[in-house]
Amino acid sequence: MSQPVVHITKLNLKYRHKPVLMDLNWTINRNENWLLCGTSGSGKTSLAKAMAGIGHSYSNIEINFNPQSSLPAIAYYVANWFQFKDLEGQSNFYYQQRYNKQSTETTATVKAELESFGKKHSLSIHEVDRVLAALGFSELKDSTLIQLSSGEHKKLQLVKALWLKPQLLILDLPYNGLDVLSRKNLNALLEEISEAGTQLILISNEAELPGCINRIATIEEGKLVEISADERTWNDIEASDKPVPTFLSESVVNASSAEIIRMINVNISYGEKQVLKNINWEVKAGEKWVLHGHNGSGKSTLLSLICGDHPQAYANDFHLFGNKRGSGESIWEIKERIGLISPELHWYFDPSATVWQSIVSGFYDSSGLFCDPGYSKKAKTDELIHYFGLDEYKNTLMNELPLGKQRLALLARTIVKNPELLILDEPCQGLDQQQTLHFNKLVDELCKNGTTLIYVGHFESQIPGCIEKRILLENGEVKSVETLLESVL
Amino acid sequence: MSNYFNTLPLREKLNQLGVCDFMDSSEFLDGVNALKGKKLVIVGCGAQGLNQGLNLRDSGLNVAYTLRKEAIEGKRDSWKNATENNFTVGTYEELIPTADVVINLTPDKQHTAVVTAIMPLMKQGATLLYSHGFNIVEEGMQIRKDITVIMVAPKCPGSEVRAEYVRGFGVPTLIAVHPENDPEGKGLAQAKAYCVGTGGHRAGVLKSSFVAEVKSDLMGEQTILCGLLQTGSILSFDKMIEKGIDAGYASKLVQYGVEVITEALKHGGVSGMMDRLSNVAKVKAFEISEELKDIMRPLFQKHQDDIMSGEFSRTMMEDWAAGDKNLLAWRAATGETAFEKTPAGDVKIGEQEYFDNYTLMVAFVRAGVELAFETMVQAGIKPESAYYESLHETPLIANTIARKKLFEMNRVISDTAEYGCYLFDYACKPLLADFMTKVDTDLVGKNFNEGKDGSVDNRTLIAINEALRSHEVEIVGARLRKAMTAMKSIKTA
Repeated sequence: MSQPVVHITKLNLKYRHKPVLMDLNWTINRNENWLLCGTSGSGKTSLAKAMAGIGHSYSNIEINFNPQSSLPAIAYYVANWFQFKDLEGQSNFYYQQRYNKQSTETTATVKAELESFGKKHSLSIHEVDRVLAALGFSELKDSTLIQLSSGEHKKLQLVKALWLKPQLLILDLPYNGLDVLSRKNLNALLEEISEAGTQLILISNEAELPGCINRIATIEEGKLVEISADERTWNDIEASDKPVPTFLSESVVNASSAEIIRMINVNISYGEKQVLKNINWEVKAGEKWVLHGHNGSGKSTLLSLICGDHPQAYANDFHLFGNKRGSGESIWEIKERIGLISPELHWYFDPSATVWQSIVSGFYDSSGLFCDPGYSKKAKTDELIHYFGLDEYKNTLMNELPLGKQRLALLARTIVKNPELLILDEPCQGLDQQQTLHFNKLVDELCKNGTTLIYVGHFESQIPGCIEKRILLENGEVKSVETLLESVL
Repeated sequence: MSNYFNTLPLREKLNQLGVCDFMDSSEFLDGVNALKGKKLVIVGCGAQGLNQGLNLRDSGLNVAYTLRKEAIEGKRDSWKNATENNFTVGTYEELIPTADVVINLTPDKQHTAVVTAIMPLMKQGATLLYSHGFNIVEEGMQIRKDITVIMVAPKCPGSEVRAEYVRGFGVPTLIAVHPENDPEGKGLAQAKAYCVGTGGHRAGVLKSSFVAEVKSDLMGEQTILCGLLQTGSILSFDKMIEKGIDAGYASKLVQYGVEVITEALKHGGVSGMMDRLSNVAKVKAFEISEELKDIMRPLFQKHQDDIMSGEFSRTMMEDWAAGDKNLLAWRAATGETAFEKTPAGDVKIGEQEYFDNYTLMVAFVRAGVELAFETMVQAGIKPESAYYESLHETPLIANTIARKKLFEMNRVISDTAEYGCYLFDYACKPLLADFMTKVDTDLVGKNFNEGKDGSVDNRTLIAINEALRSHEVEIVGARLRKAMTAMKSIKTA
């Protein structure tokens, strides 16, 4: 047998001064494709970055590339987070800047970005088209980077990796934000490149995986533990028995109006490109909706209208909480009634705020805290921190926490003021199975008190039980609106 | 028209220079009510115009844009900015007559022409809003007596004004009411409401006067903010090349160094910045910055004197009349400096390395901030105003240098600031010639601590710390920074 592809001996690694990997050993042989799963914060991302040599190279990680292979001899890491820069090399973007027309032309186009990536790695530009088509990305070639949604950014990262076909490919939460079809196509592409010699390491907690995955491991107490497929527990997770804080479970939400949203023939376009076409949609107080649609179908634009984040709201016939948009209300009066979580909100959130400040800022709808909240808000925040199990991270900065923990803090922020409208746009991205189940139970509990809910989630397994209505978008149009009979309420 | 400030008796000059009140947040409890339902018309739709307008509309106010006919017919960028964000756009004739508040956000140079064109169209009792007082104070523009004249000046670039607003905050803002034009006494209430509309009330508002704003703004931008940063950057780069430091490294150190160094200034003032140095380096930086202050003091005073007497604006307006002859020549020359033409090398420079290897810039910044502040206060400007126009804005300007060197800085700042910057730079470099012959690579280009044992005399260090911390800019700054909570840190490449 040839030497192992990856040989890790006694790796010790700290994450912000806290040991996460302790004397970890791992051997990856040829033709093995691994899945790394397990709880948030166990050290999966730290391990992956160390293997790709990001930030620091470790002498106890030995990678033996195949000199006979025509594939690039690199360990390529696709991060769980995306980064991009403007034409001046800065990455100083702000929340919802992509809807501000003047600011969209300062970043490169997808096409230019791909060309520069191809040049750097000496790749043929012709080979990328097939990957683009498979992930439904071809039409976005002329879009600028800032215009892309988070799901589209994720796809762009994947396109690059699949085009590059490195000898070792490490994918950290690759399914985040991808719709069902794209996930399926991604798995097919992964199987294909694995066939052609790329070895995979997949970090994910999803059920649907490419068929080529043949070994599974978790990290427990800093060490790698191999498990069998059966040991990936799906159904027998016990939800936390902590009671929901009473300020949330016992207070009835009073809707400001019987009609929360009324859109009549709403249109949004950027130059020639129409993103929303003749949208008609009514949401009544207390209804629980799921919003479905492929990546790029217009979901995030639709939600940005509701959250007061889109400048074109002023040019449409559109009522929110009983008032016509543009009739003298401020966006802060709108945001006051909404609890929002979205990939965008997370991406642009102030990384230098502590967990506690981040959660309290939910009362003010700000990114980071700018004032003294007073006793009752502080007390509610502390209760919620305990409920989410974040006590030990209370004073930790957001950017010092792994993605899953950051997300938990932002979920607490979303509900802390017990808003009359909850907008949960892929709320459980980055969470593990148990956390997802836990959060959806909480959503069900909250929604018993009259809260109106709009939920976006690509994974059926992640949708809370209280959903009763569904709106489906396709290419910017409402494809269908239906009442779900089998609602489990 | 004659210089308004020079028409005032000394008593009134001092009175207006001395308007300076850091406002309590309770003064903004009335929100945008003073402007609710009123028709706001913005003249010009550049970065400030567009972003302020987006914020005002999102605060529930009625905003439209007026542009010159040629801009509308030619579908210029300003027209695109406004229409693509679904604002109403019209000519002066179409929109000004019904406007309750006309907001002039055009460049200084155009003010006289713009205001002369719109004033006859404005309705009785309307309000004219400026974001800079040059036209009123230096050019002496006379506004019809029924019109209220106010100023609201966000102290940040337009994109920041928007970015901070959408995250639920705002940028520090300066407001003023022109005492010659407040016939109904509504000026202050409207200026405050405008501040709430742009989010400025959440970040600290300084009530000033047209006079104090102009005289301090001109002084700050000419000396510490743009002038000295330009002089210091060019001299530092040239010194490193002379001493054989790699050109790519030198270019990167200078381009990004000033941003990293002034980031410490933003959070902790001059002493916070100096505390980033080792003790030996701090002692050295203190000594040479004392020397720099002595060398440059007469130049800072000359700039302040020329600003106060109106001499500066007179000569600049002569250059306007000559088709910007000097400005364009100086701009071209700045584009040709070795620093500007040498691209930043592909080397990694750690955050602390920018302090250790660029001690000279720390000394320049300390000398410039303190000198500008001291000179302004001696001239009758209040410490809070002087703080805003010196220390507070330095990191913002440094950020533009990090983006694309001095060319970018001079492109982003106003033409007025750019003109003053070159004026200072050309006078300052010869003044520092002798000083620079003594500077070696330990101060710029290499780690100052290298080869030194790091020991210092306790009493010397204590005296230096005391001198830094007890300076008035630090005392005022500590108070103002507390009010400007949660300042966002600038990201560095």
